[in-house]
Amino acid sequence: MKRSLLVNPYVLVAPGFILAALIILWPLAEIANIAVHDVNRFGVLRGYVGLENFRVIFADPEFLGALRRTAIWVFGIVAGSILISIPVAMILNGDFYGRGLARVIIMLPWAISLTMTAIVWAWALNGESGMLNSGLRALGIIDRNVQWLAQASTAFPMQILIGILVTIPFTITIFLGGLSSIPDDLYEAAQLEGANGWQVFREITLPLLKPFVNIAVVMNTIYVFNSFPIIWVTTQGGPAKSTDILVTYLYKLGFQYGRLDDASALSILMFVLLLAFTLLYVRLAMREEKA
Amino acid sequence: MSFVSSARLAAAASALALMAGAAVADIRVTVAEYSSLTGPFFNDAAAAFEAETGTKVNIEVVPWDVLFQKLTTDISAGAQADLSIIGTRWLIDFASEDLVAPLDDLISDDLRERFVPAFLEPSVMDGQLLGLPVAASARAMYFNSDLMEQAGVDSVPENWEELADAAAKISALGDDIYGFGLQGAEIETDVYYYYALWSYGGDLITAEGTSGLGTQAAVDAAEMYRGLIDSGVTEPGVTSYNREDVQNLFKQGRVGFMITAPFLATQIANEVPDLNYGVAAIPAGPDGGRGTYGVTDSIIMFENSPNKEEAAAFLDFVFGHDWRVRFDSGEGFLPVTSSVAEDPAFAEDPVLSVFASLLPTARFAPTIAGWEEIAAIASDAMQSIYLGQVEIEPTLSAAADRINALLP
Repeated sequence: MKRSLLVNPYVLVAPGFILAALIILWPLAEIANIAVHDVNRFGVLRGYVGLENFRVIFADPEFLGALRRTAIWVFGIVAGSILISIPVAMILNGDFYGRGLARVIIMLPWAISLTMTAIVWAWALNGESGMLNSGLRALGIIDRNVQWLAQASTAFPMQILIGILVTIPFTITIFLGGLSSIPDDLYEAAQLEGANGWQVFREITLPLLKPFVNIAVVMNTIYVFNSFPIIWVTTQGGPAKSTDILVTYLYKLGFQYGRLDDASALSILMFVLLLAFTLLYVRLAMREEKA
Repeated sequence: MSFVSSARLAAAASALALMAGAAVADIRVTVAEYSSLTGPFFNDAAAAFEAETGTKVNIEVVPWDVLFQKLTTDISAGAQADLSIIGTRWLIDFASEDLVAPLDDLISDDLRERFVPAFLEPSVMDGQLLGLPVAASARAMYFNSDLMEQAGVDSVPENWEELADAAAKISALGDDIYGFGLQGAEIETDVYYYYALWSYGGDLITAEGTSGLGTQAAVDAAEMYRGLIDSGVTEPGVTSYNREDVQNLFKQGRVGFMITAPFLATQIANEVPDLNYGVAAIPAGPDGGRGTYGVTDSIIMFENSPNKEEAAAFLDFVFGHDWRVRFDSGEGFLPVTSSVAEDPAFAEDPVLSVFASLLPTARFAPTIAGWEEIAAIASDAMQSIYLGQVEIEPTLSAAADRINALLP
């Protein structure tokens, strides 16, 4: 039987591919083009410079600092949110009175714009009039106000905590989907065999949840790596660039210093970095699953 | 052809006609949002201008923080407005790309002569007038009279030494009262340090054309500020306080002295009219040097504007005396035109007259392309010093080296 051209898979995929190419590949090509040119601050190309812009980025000590902090930032938030989300998702998956309400409360932060959340936290962390200080003082935990955002040693951990908080709802959603796909009879069988809670978790829940953990790692990494509002609203990467991650550093390069060429080179680097991590992780995770 | 598609075509045709009509006479003006009064002011002026001349003026109000970004984006797309407010220190960036239309032949001598000459100067490059000053501001020291009285400080500090003493006495009044409000975060962190730098005899750019951060005056000024922090007379954690945060402390009556612009007086009048305060010159250095920061914003015409004459007519209109009085008094800016400066609303105002008297010692940010990056390097250096984790002299000279690499 000869099939119509219209059911050829490539033809069917074409509209979606063309759309994606327009939205993703075309800007990527534009940025790659800017990255190898000398560009003025209004985006006018002035001359081909090869990899000079990349050399400038690598020679900038602030790039390495931002790179290191980005690694801490991504690892802290992704690991932290997964560690918290697994038990919470297991609780929410169980049957208890008021579960619907509990789920709504957990999901609520997701419904609020990230920038608004960050602004509220910036107020809460304010050294003089912030809720956190007055709360801790009322509890007697501190007797002097802590200036949370005045130095990186307190500001950056707080930013990561905020990041964890806003990442939890999405992560829990993934895990709830995963938990509901685990058949109940596995648990019943385990109960008959006399397995304790920890054994059930280690031998049944965790292995079956693994694909969902992998999804959470990949998607959260992509999202957190490029997340801008929390750091920008609370400290703008300061003081003295000590809380800058790559994306805030990129914003400063492009829009504050007008170095569009260097900023484009950095964008390409970030894209490659993220792509490489994702491919590598998916590769490793897949291989493990097959084995 | 179905009804639907012909109706669509008709709608598209009329939309095109509208756009074509717009291209002939309408002008677009991008304005920075200085306060909630800015938008209404320009919209009223535009409506009055349209009633008088028939030219429609579209006002685009943009928050200050994103103004530069919007202009950059508009310019790279070739979609900039006819007129735009810019920070005058950006002018060189725009002019060096030939984006700005010289106004010499477009505006009347009458309009040109309305301005205080000193304010026009930053907008003149290579003998051409590239912009008109639309807003002017200088900085002075605000003092809280009640706190001074409670602490037994009889006179407003004349120099930094007296300020340190007075601030120490005020800080001793209570745990949440601070003598000197020191801004250490976000935009103009560097400027807050330049006040001290200038009074110690330093300059942003030395006579040799290198960064002033590499000089002894810069070290002395930084040591003085660091001394204030170390002796506990500033608010704690200065590196988390931006200008608004320090101003808020002042409005709450918790800071004895702070340096900022006239707009704080406007805010106090609206929010805490009972606050007992005054305004004086920024303290002098050991040798009596003084300096304040002068800032002007300019309105420029883009070179590719198709409606230069209409745009120039709008400039003439909006720089009329009555409109300027309303704008300057609403926003708390210093007058840029002579007639407004002589208006009793300004000449007899106790706060604004102090600011106006400081203008002769005002310094403007140097007109150097890429000044924002230089400012960021200075701000970062100051933040490191305020945090107390670095040696002052090496930090400043490292910053000076980085700035020198950027200077032309």
